[in-house]
Amino acid sequence: MSEVSFRGMEASNKRKTYLLLAGMGALVWLVVYAALTYFGSATVGIVPIAVTIALISVWGSYYASDSIVLKMTGARELQESDNPKLFNLIHEVVIASGLPMPKVAVVVDTAPNAFATGRNPEHAVIAFTTGILDVMDRDQLQGVIAHEMSHVGNRDTLVSAVAATTAGAIAILSDMLTRMMWFSGGRRDDRDNNSNPVALIVSLVILILAPIAAMLLKSAVSRRREALADATAVSFTRNPAGLRSALEVLAADSTVVRQRSTAVAHIWIESPLDGKAVSRLFATHPPIEERIAALRAMESLGPVS
Amino acid sequence: MSNIVIILAVAAVLVLFVVSIYNRLVRLNVSVEEAFAQIEVQLKRRSDLIPNLVETVKGYASHESATFEKVVNARAKATTATTVADVAAADGAVTQALRGLLAVAEGYPDLKASTNFLALQEELSTTENKVSFARQFYNDNVRALNTAVKTIPTSFFAGMAKVSARTFYEVEDPQSRQAPTVKF
Repeated sequence: MSEVSFRGMEASNKRKTYLLLAGMGALVWLVVYAALTYFGSATVGIVPIAVTIALISVWGSYYASDSIVLKMTGARELQESDNPKLFNLIHEVVIASGLPMPKVAVVVDTAPNAFATGRNPEHAVIAFTTGILDVMDRDQLQGVIAHEMSHVGNRDTLVSAVAATTAGAIAILSDMLTRMMWFSGGRRDDRDNNSNPVALIVSLVILILAPIAAMLLKSAVSRRREALADATAVSFTRNPAGLRSALEVLAADSTVVRQRSTAVAHIWIESPLDGKAVSRLFATHPPIEERIAALRAMESLGPVS
Repeated sequence: MSNIVIILAVAAVLVLFVVSIYNRLVRLNVSVEEAFAQIEVQLKRRSDLIPNLVETVKGYASHESATFEKVVNARAKATTATTVADVAAADGAVTQALRGLLAVAEGYPDLKASTNFLALQEELSTTENKVSFARQFYNDNVRALNTAVKTIPTSFFAGMAKVSARTFYEVEDPQSRQAPTVKF
């Protein structure tokens, strides 16, 4: 199985997601270890508090993601009679994927874009801007729908909720601990742990850098899920050319969805933050040229049955 | 005493292992059946479109009776097929006949411009896509089932779960794997 085929691409992106999530887990332990080294066992109680706060704040937006995201993006739900052609296309991809029929929504915006959300396939919503519906032909739109349905099938709302919870917990932990540091004017006097100065400095550095590392890992997870969704989309349509030419349309288009909030930027098929000077490492999407090249490589393999 | 606990624990793990494999095989088998039902649903949809399509084309090209007959006959044959191979063969014949009908339609500009025909065109192309995606989904499921039936350890339990390898849904004409390219 070559790495270029959609099956190889799916396997490798899934593997990398697990590695990244494991990396985030390891980061949590590292922070806990650093806290123990620096402050002693008195800080152990903070860990469950930070995790709980992160869990509560993310869980709500995960569980009600369908309605919350629709509200934040100003999307309106569509009925089959509103756009029978679009529904035909979605039915096709639903049959190809074996997933349940999602709710369909439209965002009035001339910038071509689309997204999927919902806590599970039974509560999935896929949304399109009016711009993308106007500008894309049947094959292109089918590719975009397949990409969005791939997010649904791959449970990417759950994956990004897990990543957000872990990153959130790390941020809260590190924030609380740095505050403690200021208030106590350095480490406490309970000397029940080792006071090796090197270990102390390493712990301090870990505490300060951990939130940034967590952000980087979270963005990397998001990029892997986008690449995975492209590969899964091809497994549904067996037509890499459709999605590829859709991405080319998106790459050529310089208009950007008028976002009400950057909080939902990661869910669009093309990042609305493009053009802002976001470093590549913090980007939620792989560079669009890279995605186009991957799909082109799949096209060169010829038809796959 | 502790020996008994260990034996019970091992037995419990073994039972769980067998149950999960058994359930997986049954689940794969059920999804193949569901996928086949989906093909039949979509073929039925296409079949229901045919009378309307034939009537519309007849209105403009009444003398092309041989083509109409072919479509109607292929459709009639498709309704009696039950096994995977028969359904696939009948499906191929209908696809072939429809392609002939649409080729005839090419020669009648008035027909191609009629609103009725344009509406049918969208219906037909989406239905062709649905049929071919349903075939693809079925074959993916058969592939998963057959792999499980033939690989260790699931292969040991296939007999117990009364699950065996299934035939792929193969349409004879290699061209008919794709939807007919309809240009109007």
